[in-house]
Amino acid sequence: MEILKNPHFDLLGKARYFVAASLIVILSGLAYIAKDGLRYGVEFSGGIQLILKFASAPHVDRIRSAVEKLAPGAVIQTYGDASKNQVLIRLSGELKGEVENAGKPVLDALKTSYAENPVIESSSEVVGPIVGAELRRKAIQLTVLGLVFQFAYIWFRFKGAVWGAAAAVAVFHDVMVTLTFLAFFHYEITLNVIAALLTLVGYSVNDTIVVFDRVRENLRHRRKEPLRTILNDSLNQTLTRTLISNGTTFLAVLGLFLFGGEVLRAFGFAMVVGVLVGTYSTVYIASPFVIWWQGLKERRVPAARAAL
Amino acid sequence: MPPALQNPVTLWFVLTAALAAACYFGLRQELRLRAVLYGSFLIACLVAIWPPYGKDGQPGKIHLGLDLRGGIHLVLQVVTDDALNATIDDAVQTVRDQATRKGIAFAAAQRVDTTSFSLEGVEPARVKDAQAILHDFFRDGWDIREPGEGRFLVKMTDVLVRQIKERTVKEAIKTLERRVNQLGVAEPVIAEYGNHGDQILVQLPGVTDVEQAKRVIKTTAQLALKLVEDTSPSQESLLQATGGKVPDDKEVVQGQGETPGQPVYYLVKKEAVITGRDLKNARAGVDQNNAPDVQFTLNPQGADKFKRETGRNVGKRLAIILDGSVASAPTIQSQIGSEGVITGRFTTQEADELSKVLRAGALPASLKYQQELTVGASLGKDSIRSGIIASAAGVLFLTVFMLVYYRMSGLNAVVALAANVLILLGAMAYTGATLTLPGIAGIILTIGVGVDTNVLVFERIREELRNGRAVRAAITNGFERVWITILDTHATALIAAAFLFQFGTGPIKGFAVTLVIGLIANIFASYFVSRFLFEWVLGKRQVQTLSI
Repeated sequence: MEILKNPHFDLLGKARYFVAASLIVILSGLAYIAKDGLRYGVEFSGGIQLILKFASAPHVDRIRSAVEKLAPGAVIQTYGDASKNQVLIRLSGELKGEVENAGKPVLDALKTSYAENPVIESSSEVVGPIVGAELRRKAIQLTVLGLVFQFAYIWFRFKGAVWGAAAAVAVFHDVMVTLTFLAFFHYEITLNVIAALLTLVGYSVNDTIVVFDRVRENLRHRRKEPLRTILNDSLNQTLTRTLISNGTTFLAVLGLFLFGGEVLRAFGFAMVVGVLVGTYSTVYIASPFVIWWQGLKERRVPAARAAL
Repeated sequence: MPPALQNPVTLWFVLTAALAAACYFGLRQELRLRAVLYGSFLIACLVAIWPPYGKDGQPGKIHLGLDLRGGIHLVLQVVTDDALNATIDDAVQTVRDQATRKGIAFAAAQRVDTTSFSLEGVEPARVKDAQAILHDFFRDGWDIREPGEGRFLVKMTDVLVRQIKERTVKEAIKTLERRVNQLGVAEPVIAEYGNHGDQILVQLPGVTDVEQAKRVIKTTAQLALKLVEDTSPSQESLLQATGGKVPDDKEVVQGQGETPGQPVYYLVKKEAVITGRDLKNARAGVDQNNAPDVQFTLNPQGADKFKRETGRNVGKRLAIILDGSVASAPTIQSQIGSEGVITGRFTTQEADELSKVLRAGALPASLKYQQELTVGASLGKDSIRSGIIASAAGVLFLTVFMLVYYRMSGLNAVVALAANVLILLGAMAYTGATLTLPGIAGIILTIGVGVDTNVLVFERIREELRNGRAVRAAITNGFERVWITILDTHATALIAAAFLFQFGTGPIKGFAVTLVIGLIANIFASYFVSRFLFEWVLGKRQVQTLSI
């Protein structure tokens, strides 16, 4: 069985429109984030998050009225499957007093004003403001460092800054677009989401390398042809692999998103978006970038070719 | 299973020997070595993970993270200033004692801040002697200055400050280890955390009584028994006799009075008769009125001191001070030897916890909670279930797809994927790495990357076949041409995973661990094992078509 037999699409012909579309998405994402801000999970913002399991189906309104006096503006929502009788309560922002036992007043308030439906099990996450700020700094630092090291590795392996830069720009694009989607769909930036983003940094560059590898191979025995033709051919030659590999990974992470439960939902979402965007960016961001870079230096391709 | 095979090494050896024999009779010569090599490695992984899940309370070979089995994760900050202050206080006491002994008059000796103290108003004739004392006692790690006539400022050097901080954190970790042992937690983690050098990570998997665990960890448990000079319901009246000032060798400690909520102030001697360090053992008990108390035994050195001091002070009161407040202040009835009792208004549980922390020793400094994560056991079980469902859905889909799309070669890929997961789990069991919920996601992702390697190879083989190459040459070319690509893609993915690993402890580290091991296992399984399978199945026959 084959899905594409010897494809010959002019993939790079319309590249400028796709680049423009990407820029629009990223810019609108940045504007949206600047206006509304990203929603950080409790591990970054600091605060308290409780997941309570009640004996019978809980009334969110009753819980709200019990907790409201204690913590105005608390987020209260059912958590997971409705049959599990679970409720998530989040009090974000600066913690008053000590981290220790920060969740206890909430439990006490529930015990007095919602006594008929006792809490039978609770999970809690309490994060002091220092730890949260430190994590935020670390997350950004590590993502940037990851990009820099990959840039350096590809530069070294392909003997040309253009390839490293193209891969890094594509990955940066993927991270930004994924962040935009996370913001649009009101997902929180949790530790798991950061893990997903860092994984994407690794995964998305995979795709780019497979194509660049093919370009490197083709350049060896087709020295006379323009780089654009070689890039387009390489994209076509690897297209089936791109569709199958990314398609299967996409479906695997889709399973994670759909069946992975509450904890992995945001992670799954980031991966689903990231895999799609990572595939797209190889064709429409990394490859046009290489052509554009070479075009800047000269109209032809000797530099990139001479390097290989 | 016969008992001899219970030993994993023996089991591995026997299975490998069986495999080698089978290979010798059933395989062509050029395949034998690889078959035994690859096979014995996979057998080692299988032996390592067996049994993966615990039965009858026995732990399984795969360690489950806190998020899957429930428990507590705490990040504590050691208030190292406590230890610095204590060091300075000791130093000030030393200076006072020495000056008094040598008959040097001075106006004041006191702490300036957490790392320095001053000695002021030394009588002009004895400045040289005071200088000698300071230089004698504060030679290493201290910086002595004389900003004015008869005035000294003594400051710790940065080196000493760092040493004290490091020692404090180490001592705190040791104490916490002893305390956690008494809680009876299996596989606890207590370690330094972060880059500041003053944070401690405590992970207690499977703990159900969260409140108790937190209390036992947090209590500083500084115990001191000091002689009482005077008591009074208010601080002012207590200090009337001394003109409103606390004398140098005494201090004021607060305690609970007869009526609850009514504080009582005690003027006590600064020097303790005995401290927590003099204890040999402590246990919870009840007094003659059946009220809970804590009985302690002293070590020989402490017993000597206790005997001497109690004998000398019969009729006086002795304040039992716990973490800076008086628990009780009984009157010394007669000379006491090596055993004593701490009474107070304890509940049975409080007495039990107090005896535990006294046994484990005091913390050198107080602790602050910076982060706390507790996971209920049933939430953990839900997470495992959804993780398994998601994995199963992913694996099932990929298997069906590979079989439909690549037919018999797809079967090869599925075998390689199974080997990949087996190696991943084996390595995790062997290294004691922890499986977390994000770790399960990492396994799914590993399977995705594994499929990618297979697809790369298979598509290349198809391409070679399209270009008219013979089956065997197409396979050889297919594998060899994608080798560089596979190396590069895995290297970049490993770079990303390495940074992920830097992202601290907990679930994310678990994810990074599975990703790193998975990527390495993938090269072995999807490249080398898969290639071997092709060569084995094709055999020496001259094949015309390939099921791909």
